[in-house]
Amino acid sequence: MKNSLLAADKGFFGISAAVNGEKKELSVRNAESLLDALRRHGWKGAKKGCDTGDCGSCAVLLNGKPVLGCLVPAVAAHGGEITTIEGLGSVHNPHPLQQAFVEAGAVQCGFCIPGMILSSKYLLDRIPDPTEAEIRKALDGNLCRCTGYVKQVEAVKNAAKRLKSRG
Amino acid sequence: MPEIIVKPSNLKELWKMLPGLPARRRYLAGGTDLVTAGVAGVEHSECWIDIGDLPELGSIKEAAGSLFIGSGVKISEIESSKAAARWCPALVAAIPHFASPSLRNMATLGGNAANASPCADGACSLVAEGASVLLALKGKKRRLPLVDFFLGPKLTALKKDELILGFEIRKRRHAGAYLKLGPRAYFGISKAAVAVTAELSGGAVKRVRVALGSVAPVPLYAARTSAFLADKKLSAETIAEASALVRTEASPITDTRSEAAYRLDMCGVLLERALKSLA
Repeated sequence: MKNSLLAADKGFFGISAAVNGEKKELSVRNAESLLDALRRHGWKGAKKGCDTGDCGSCAVLLNGKPVLGCLVPAVAAHGGEITTIEGLGSVHNPHPLQQAFVEAGAVQCGFCIPGMILSSKYLLDRIPDPTEAEIRKALDGNLCRCTGYVKQVEAVKNAAKRLKSRG
Repeated sequence: MPEIIVKPSNLKELWKMLPGLPARRRYLAGGTDLVTAGVAGVEHSECWIDIGDLPELGSIKEAAGSLFIGSGVKISEIESSKAAARWCPALVAAIPHFASPSLRNMATLGGNAANASPCADGACSLVAEGASVLLALKGKKRRLPLVDFFLGPKLTALKKDELILGFEIRKRRHAGAYLKLGPRAYFGISKAAVAVTAELSGGAVKRVRVALGSVAPVPLYAARTSAFLADKKLSAETIAEASALVRTEASPITDTRSEAAYRLDMCGVLLERALKSLA
């Protein structure tokens, strides 16, 4: 049962949320965005690009679906399940999507990639074998200023094949 | 940004909580408009009431004669609803044009209406669907035709603390279309948009509703064009006449997104294309 939150001590609220599968109690400022709160607590994977909901760099999964961390008040994530890019894989044990992005050369500066990969994960969770149009539609809200999208679309296609062959 | 955010878990708790809250308060739904306004420094409430958890607002329900879409239903949930696809095709046709996929996982139909932007894709298509809006303030409920809900840019008929419960669409078989002209195919704000619903019978249309976005102070119901099209065959002449008529109903302005004269012309072009897609 969720509790209604009221203004807490000195402008801080305590919220509980599962971050990357681990239950956490987080103290968040009252009007702080989920993005700022996550970054302040050490999850730096989500990037602060525009802070106005346009670029998609701050995308995280909230209850399995991509949302823009910069526009979600942290308190609205109370009771939710959050997945950041850190929850997908690590340097030594990357998720097939992460591996595919590296292999396709889809990463240049890297700033947009966490958001791209989380949007792609949501796509592949629902549609394991997407068409190019479906991939482009899923990445619609993730802007990249380096590569021009071709390699990223290729990476998602390759990841889909790899995930499929893994069963 | 507000000093206080509260998060009631149901309507009863919300009404009980209201008297104790600071005077300058607003409801927070998906946050995609309100938080952006807060960041831009043009939102000055002392308190936001997060209504994201209210179960009363969160579902799509089919009753005998109507479809109810709760104000808290996320836009992406409407996109995947079979009932919505059947009973409000113009609304569903608008969804791919609505912001971006991740924003559609956050934004709600209630928030889209409450924000009362003349370019709101959800609001414009709901006007074409002939939707009613259900409002509540403590025990009092009322229902308004959606066209009477919008009073001007960012202005609605909502009273202080009144909450949008949801939207009701009468279950009548009809076709629908939504065409939007923006700076690019997706993820843009419209220069002009046209939503059409039509009950088709043989080669003719029985009842038609045309709504226009971004070309008037409100999501506009084009009453004269709609009346003109009723009980007509969608011939090339009829479509051309309707397309000329709709230009007389819009009152666009020139702003950063487009120019008034161009917008006016595009209303005609988009309506023509929308009607051809139905014919």
